[in-house]
Amino acid sequence: MRVRASGLGKVYPGVDGAPPVRVLDGVSLDAEPGQVLAVIGESGSGKSTLLNLLGLLEPADAGEIRFDDAQVSHLGRRAQCRVRGTQIGYVFQAFLLLGSLTALDNVLLAARYVGRDRREAERDALTLMERLGVLHRRGHYPAQLSGGEQQRVAYCRAVLNRPPLLLADEPTGNLDDTHARVILDELGAQARERGATVILVTHRPDAAAAADASLRLAAGRLAGG
Amino acid sequence: MRRLFPRGYGFTVLGIAVGMAGLVALGAMAERISRFIEGGDRFVLGQISVAGEGMGMGAGFTAGGLLTAARIAEIAKVPGVALVQPQVMLPINPSTSSFMTLTQELLMGMDPSAPQANRNYQTLPIRKGRSLAPGDRGVAVLGIDFAASHKLDVGGVLPMGALQFQVVGILDKTLTAPDRFAMVSLEDARDVWLRRDPLLFRVFGSGGLTRADLNSGAAVAWQDGVDPDDLARRIQDRVKGVNVTIPSELSEMLRTSTAFFSALLIGIGTLALVIGGLSLANTVTAAVFERIRDFGVKRALGATDAQLLREVLGEALGVSLWGVGLGVALALGIGYGVDSRAVREGQQLFFFSPRLLGFTFVFAMLLGSLAAAYATLRITRLSPAEAIRRGT
Repeated sequence: MRVRASGLGKVYPGVDGAPPVRVLDGVSLDAEPGQVLAVIGESGSGKSTLLNLLGLLEPADAGEIRFDDAQVSHLGRRAQCRVRGTQIGYVFQAFLLLGSLTALDNVLLAARYVGRDRREAERDALTLMERLGVLHRRGHYPAQLSGGEQQRVAYCRAVLNRPPLLLADEPTGNLDDTHARVILDELGAQARERGATVILVTHRPDAAAAADASLRLAAGRLAGG
Repeated sequence: MRRLFPRGYGFTVLGIAVGMAGLVALGAMAERISRFIEGGDRFVLGQISVAGEGMGMGAGFTAGGLLTAARIAEIAKVPGVALVQPQVMLPINPSTSSFMTLTQELLMGMDPSAPQANRNYQTLPIRKGRSLAPGDRGVAVLGIDFAASHKLDVGGVLPMGALQFQVVGILDKTLTAPDRFAMVSLEDARDVWLRRDPLLFRVFGSGGLTRADLNSGAAVAWQDGVDPDDLARRIQDRVKGVNVTIPSELSEMLRTSTAFFSALLIGIGTLALVIGGLSLANTVTAAVFERIRDFGVKRALGATDAQLLREVLGEALGVSLWGVGLGVALALGIGYGVDSRAVREGQQLFFFSPRLLGFTFVFAMLLGSLAAAYATLRITRLSPAEAIRRGT
């Protein structure tokens, strides 16, 4: 899926009388299907906000986002829910697994809101978990898993519905090199093997170097790539 | 059981349980008072009570106003009267005040062969043993609280001055006056009265009275279609030397004398609702807000507002059900624990009525759902990113 953003802007209101903070200012990008695009920059440069806007996790104050030919940034709430559930997979730095669910149920959560048949989704989830080496942990709760295992479970959840767009926000930030490599290789494989568009926020030079393209943000603006 | 328990909601369930236990316990105390007052009201509205002249109803019926056989015969002739049931009602302990007849232990003498005059208490259910039977002498049927406070059971012996009565039956719980009755035959009650009251004994011994004259009062039943208040007034007009209580006036008098308890009851009920309700609403709302990050994640995975609301309501109902279930169990445990001690004094402080328990469940489910819906709607106003940020 081709992802195009133009002129994206985001301003957070100031707290306790402080002036508003302009986090993104006129950012544009174009990512092709099968491409891994790395977004790099200093902390506070607006990388995570850019990913949130692209993932429809918060509304942009300016600009627009298109998935292929469809403008998605101005869809209604319900339509955006559908787009998030069917077309986007997220991998978060903090894993964001639900503590009250087992590893398998966390993965299956992705299928719950898009009306997938549970049995078929469970078959896919178990296959994915086996591939990522966490099948034996399917009945365990997140608190019983290591950081590497949690991220692999979170990755399985992100790709369960085979979304055409994968957004990964510092997916290796809390992992050691070995586990980080597994996740980065998997993201690369998603782009190569089934043509998913992968947009990756990272601090790791090796991850950025392995990407097909990269763009650098500085103080909310594009700084070349 | 473990699979049915909503994981991660342990403290929430506990919080709700404590609030609901308070609601149910206070409600059960209110129910106990309410049943007592209602029972007394039902009793006085079920018959016309007539006592000997010169005494108020409260005293006359239990402490001495004689209603002679001639007077009873006159009452029976008044148009509208269906039957007159002579009775002897005496306080078990003559030294106690006879004012509050509903709360004191009474010896009740009645003729078991005659039909019951009280329309609302045609029969009193028996828990153990049997009822009084025609021809019975020297036996007693006890109210359940009376039996408990005197540590008597079927087969036991109830001493009454020089007389002794073998207990042949224990009444079922009525939650009102009969719980504190000792019921004996009319003739036995007359014997107790004669032995207890030297003046009465002298008058009786002089031949001025027959045994049939020894009645402290009578319960009068009315014919179908007759207005009991009108009939009571008619008896008062036509029969001299009697003190008739108007059922509706006695009911009003009882209500007035128990107004304090009624106010207390409303206060307890309101307090219980506020405490229990606030506790439940606050706990459920806090539990939902605590999961704000999870909502953010679910919305990131495509959950719509309606899907989230459905999920949260389902969870809130489950959590509330567990909470109220545990709360009720806790209140029952406390209530029965306290009552098992209180019953030794012939008291019961709690009454866990089906309507109280039903109301508690419905109240908890409704309030839990409303609180959960409110919290969810607040959260769904946030963007998924904001919900995740706030919850992390």
